[in-house]
Amino acid sequence: MKGIPTILITVSPEVSAQMRPPRAIYPNGFKIGNSLGKPGMRDLQKAVLGDALTLLTENTRPGQIITREYPEYGEFHEPPRVRK
Amino acid sequence: MSFSRKCVPFTPFEGKLAKSTVALVTAGGVHLKGQEPFNIADELGDLGYRILPEDVDSSDLMVTHHHYDHSDADEDINVVFPIDVLRDLQKDGFIGGVARKHVGYMGYTMQLKAMYEGTAREIANEIDKGSKADVVVLTGG
Repeated sequence: MKGIPTILITVSPEVSAQMRPPRAIYPNGFKIGNSLGKPGMRDLQKAVLGDALTLLTENTRPGQIITREYPEYGEFHEPPRVRK
Repeated sequence: MSFSRKCVPFTPFEGKLAKSTVALVTAGGVHLKGQEPFNIADELGDLGYRILPEDVDSSDLMVTHHHYDHSDADEDINVVFPIDVLRDLQKDGFIGGVARKHVGYMGYTMQLKAMYEGTAREIANEIDKGSKADVVVLTGG
């Protein structure tokens, strides 16, 4: 297998970081069950998916989770924390 | 091949998004209504996965998963499996195409080794061999 580039959209960044994803985006404050946003918010869903795909073209550090802000989501949910 | 626990597997992306085909792989328990649901009665979790075709109608999809509140996904599957959003991005010319197949599985498991060494490899093979995907977007719930 030659390998295939991937991008993870995570709403549990600390949990995901344990698995060292090659590339990952965390939409800040999105709750579990809303990886792309809320039902019907197509513009927001497009923004999140578009930003996730754009990370493939950027010089990200493997294993780093990039946080992006989407104030139009309108809520903030604390993500699950990992006990160190 | 085994990796050090500190290693980050990384495949560079050397193409252009506007010419790339994208596949979706979700751990959010997404499957077609006509497919066997994931077994949520098994406390160890269901190690299976479902193939979702290129032309899947989002209204034919559902979620079977007991470890997250999927009421929003029940209303709009795109919040965890953005297939219609992906098609919008293709129409806009942002991406080149939508892959021939996508995958849904139930990410909850107490059988991590079996998931990592079995299911994950099988999903990777499905995507590698039949989807024509250049890149994969992964989502949880």
